[in-house]
Amino acid sequence: MAAEALGAIALGLLLVAPPFLPPYFLEILISVMLFGYLGSAWNVLGGYAGQFSFGHAAYFGIGAYTSTLLFLRLGVSPWLGMFAGGGLAAAFGLAAGYLSFRYGLRGPYFSLVTLAFAEMLRVVAVNTKAVGSSLGLVIPTREAAPLSFVFGGKLSYYYVILAMALGAVWITRRLERSKLGYALRAIRENEDAAEAAGVDALGMKLRAMALSSFLTALGGSFYAQYFAYIDPTITFGPAVSIQGLLQAIVGGAGTVLGPLLGAFVLTPVSELSRAAIRGRAGVDVMLYGLVLILVISFLPNGLMGWVRRRRRA
Amino acid sequence: MLLEADNVSKRFGGLTAVNRVSLSVDAGEIVGLIGPNGAGKTTVFHLLSGFHAPTEGAIRLKGASIVGAKPHAICRRGLARTFQIVQPFVNLTVLENVMVGAFNRTDDVGVARARAVEVLDFVGLAARRDAPARELTLPDRKRLEMARGLATRPELLLLDEVMSGLNPTEIEAIIGLIRRIHAQGVSLLIIEHVMRAIMALSQRIVVLHHGEKIAEGSPAEVSRDATVVEAYLGEEG
Repeated sequence: MAAEALGAIALGLLLVAPPFLPPYFLEILISVMLFGYLGSAWNVLGGYAGQFSFGHAAYFGIGAYTSTLLFLRLGVSPWLGMFAGGGLAAAFGLAAGYLSFRYGLRGPYFSLVTLAFAEMLRVVAVNTKAVGSSLGLVIPTREAAPLSFVFGGKLSYYYVILAMALGAVWITRRLERSKLGYALRAIRENEDAAEAAGVDALGMKLRAMALSSFLTALGGSFYAQYFAYIDPTITFGPAVSIQGLLQAIVGGAGTVLGPLLGAFVLTPVSELSRAAIRGRAGVDVMLYGLVLILVISFLPNGLMGWVRRRRRA
Repeated sequence: MLLEADNVSKRFGGLTAVNRVSLSVDAGEIVGLIGPNGAGKTTVFHLLSGFHAPTEGAIRLKGASIVGAKPHAICRRGLARTFQIVQPFVNLTVLENVMVGAFNRTDDVGVARARAVEVLDFVGLAARRDAPARELTLPDRKRLEMARGLATRPELLLLDEVMSGLNPTEIEAIIGLIRRIHAQGVSLLIIEHVMRAIMALSQRIVVLHHGEKIAEGSPAEVSRDATVVEAYLGEEG
């Protein structure tokens, strides 16, 4: 009951408070929601199915580039383009997943292959003039056009990403209580035992892959519209992949709210350390790294694991 | 015939783990599979359940070949197995472990939960249903392993040393459980080192030694068989 009340209050604040926040805080909150969203998308595959992708930037980049290119070249609204990107990312994810899983890549080998796929796409984007090569793509500034995913102020973007993050949480909750969710957790725990109990491990992992990459791509499209600029390193680079998995691992991989909770802790830590230590490049990253090491050492099941232990005690 | 393996062999490089072994399980039967350590019993289980593909030979379940089928597909066709070294999903609850098996016959979470509750009741783990599987004792883990297999609603259940590491009282309880499983119409193929148990349970026993079948027959016949006695005594001597 207390948890539900707390959740309702938090949700109310997220809906009502932002219009009264100074722009700087609103920007941080948008980052929190975007990272929480990406963490939730990664969580489907990494947290529930236990397949640690280090290459979700591939799907993020596909989403960002697809909606942007469709908009710039063909005038397709990014609202539609983001779903095209999602479909393309899911197809790419299925292909990459099939190649990896079919040949029995597990654990770190799977992680490395996903990283390689993302890097491959980054290199392709850098060397392809048609997609702007290393200079990337700019979405020209223009007047607000909500139908084209262009808003006048940051507040509207905030509500879009809030809706996406809540949607991802809702999907995760549905997943957790479905046959697929049980199958994925069984695979994470012990793939052979899951197979013996009738779980089609390959098929289930591919479904997780498709869902996870689809959702990640939508995040990429949001990013492109919000910042109005993308390039291969920002979208396909390893930093994006790491961001997604960090939120989930710090917050609690394989839990519904873990990734969002992780984003609420990590993003402010990152921002604060950057703001507190100006002028000494790199120190903020070191501080951020220290926090990560502490969390992972002392909270192996993330913040949600800690919350659960407290509730049981 | 429910299950037929015909001249099945498995070679790993130069090592022949199973050499032209034939065995069958009829509907309603309990068949024992025994042999000294390293005889190839577990490899036979891996072959029958789809974890290994046989190098040669045929395996049929209810008349249809299952060679090359994946474990989950074989499970769907009615063959479930347990593992010699128990493999619980340690971070899931006991109930969730068994639900995973129950999903073999349904897509509905409620139906799977009801089936899992029923099976847990049947194997005597109902009181532990909400405990994480990692907190179970070894005897309970063995029961959980059987429960997960049973939840898939098999026609044939392969049990791989479900009594190893248990004390005499626990063994008696497992023998009783196996009898009750059998009474529900499930056929069984059982690997076991506890001779008293396998002799009491099996209608027929197949003896493996060095990957080959050296004897087959009723418990009484097998225990009198000179080659079997030699195989076991040879191991100890």
